[in-house]
Amino acid sequence: MKVVTGVVGNDIHVVANRLIDISLQQRGYEVFNLGVNTYLEEFIDAVIETDADILLISSLNGEAEGWCRDLHFLKQKYQLKDIIFVIGGNLSVGESTTDEIVPKYKEYGFDLVFHQVDLIEGLDTLDDYVKGLKI
Amino acid sequence: MSLLQRDRQIIVSNEYVDHFDFAEVEEFVKNASKDLFISHKFKQNQDKTLVQPRGGFPTYEKMFALYEHFKKADVDVLPCTIDSHTRLNDYASAAKMLRLSEETETDMLNGYPLITQGYRTTRKMMTHFNTPISLRHGTPDARLLVDMAIASGIFEIEGGPITYLLPYSKNFPLDKAFLYWKHVERVCAKYSPLNEPINRESFGPLTATLVPPVITIVIQICEMLLSLEEGVKSFSVSFSQTGSLNQDVVTAAVLRKSAKKYAKKIGCEDATINLVYHQWMGAFPRDKEKSDCLINTSTLIAGMVKANKIITKTRAEAFGIPTKEDNAQAVSNVKYTLNMLKGLPNIVDEEEEENLTNMVDEVFEAIFNDKADTLWRKIFNSIKNGTIDVPFSPHIINNNEVITVRDPQSNIRIYKKGAMPISDKSFKYEQSKIKLGEDKNSIVNQIIKDIGVML
Repeated sequence: MKVVTGVVGNDIHVVANRLIDISLQQRGYEVFNLGVNTYLEEFIDAVIETDADILLISSLNGEAEGWCRDLHFLKQKYQLKDIIFVIGGNLSVGESTTDEIVPKYKEYGFDLVFHQVDLIEGLDTLDDYVKGLKI
Repeated sequence: MSLLQRDRQIIVSNEYVDHFDFAEVEEFVKNASKDLFISHKFKQNQDKTLVQPRGGFPTYEKMFALYEHFKKADVDVLPCTIDSHTRLNDYASAAKMLRLSEETETDMLNGYPLITQGYRTTRKMMTHFNTPISLRHGTPDARLLVDMAIASGIFEIEGGPITYLLPYSKNFPLDKAFLYWKHVERVCAKYSPLNEPINRESFGPLTATLVPPVITIVIQICEMLLSLEEGVKSFSVSFSQTGSLNQDVVTAAVLRKSAKKYAKKIGCEDATINLVYHQWMGAFPRDKEKSDCLINTSTLIAGMVKANKIITKTRAEAFGIPTKEDNAQAVSNVKYTLNMLKGLPNIVDEEEEENLTNMVDEVFEAIFNDKADTLWRKIFNSIKNGTIDVPFSPHIINNNEVITVRDPQSNIRIYKKGAMPISDKSFKYEQSKIKLGEDKNSIVNQIIKDIGVML
């Protein structure tokens, strides 16, 4: 399966981005890593260009919320169907609980939302989700 | 008028620069006190490790106060760290933030805005302390900064086209950086015969995240060669604490020997080459006492590798920009430790040295064999095709295929070599040291553990 990944916004947390890249490859995904400082439109372009199955956005500095509000609009504009939208990292600037954040991002159009979840645990969940869809 | 001089005229004709008087600056450099030149201080203290902290504040007054604290701690070299707006050539924002800092007495910049302050003002401070000053910045285009620094009495310029770009930027064009730095080298070379030479220093820590010594050494030597071929006569290669004492000792030995060898190869053996050691540049423990232990250990290693200069960290590293008191305390402690390190044993690990030297030579063979006609183009191509690959660089040109982990002795080893031209023999040696668990997550878990090795 093809995954497009990267860090959204003016966020230069490269270490986590590389670890996600390595982990996904280790799990057998074909990875297109756009790196740090990536805008939402660039992610969507890459998804279309590579015909990806999964878009995995990460955000460490918490500014994802500002960037991801347009996801619904872009999904409709480009008629993106059957693509799994995933976001993870530190998803709010201030203190927020997972119960507040997860519904908010699901509303934006994400299928899986990981707020301050361990990298390996998050990717295990993604693996299970993908398997579930296949069955 | 030479092409270089015409370029300089254009560069200083900037709305944020007061009239730049090249003739006056030349006279100033000619007659400047030798004590302002680190190249001179290196010559006079060949068996000593000079101590240099980090630091920079926006206003003249705060900068002056910082230097006073450092001088009380018996500092050898003062830092002049530039703010991030100036680093990105955004002089308008730097000017605005300096004004706000002065009005509100809160620091609105994370360093000294040298262009905004100007050389006439800055020179008063630099000559007052009569101590060498090192320019620390992180600027891909430092063409204006270098002239402003030298005019101010700052006679050491840190950085380079690779080490100030690959760790810091996602898409500043690397070829432009090479050309802008060529200009910087030429300005440094032009001033060098007038008095003591201007010293150039490369930034060895790179991303400070599991960078294998072979990459550090190759990049240090590349930047040194690009500098020497433009006529620079005093150059410092550097690296940061790897996390393994033995690997630090081996890295220092191979870096020294290889730098000399390759300088000779391009006919520049007359230049002085110095070795600079950075205290731990990775994540620090959120515990000031433990940080003290870490800093002390790296001071010991600087002594063991006989570094010509050590660049210090502070016990407040994990908590943001250190105060001038914390910073001065660090200088004082490092000097105290260095002073007791006399007659240290000379450790040589021949097997490790041989393997590292081989890898450095293997990479350089590929660089020199690149079909391009100039050295900077050869190096540019080598970065583009992954011959040189910096772990955890955010830059789009970086190949990002090399993966490194620590072996049980904490040495950084190459687990995946990507497109690096390392021979089977050298690679086998690296592989033979790595011990990993069996499950699919073991490599990622190992990397996470290895990055946080000092936490």
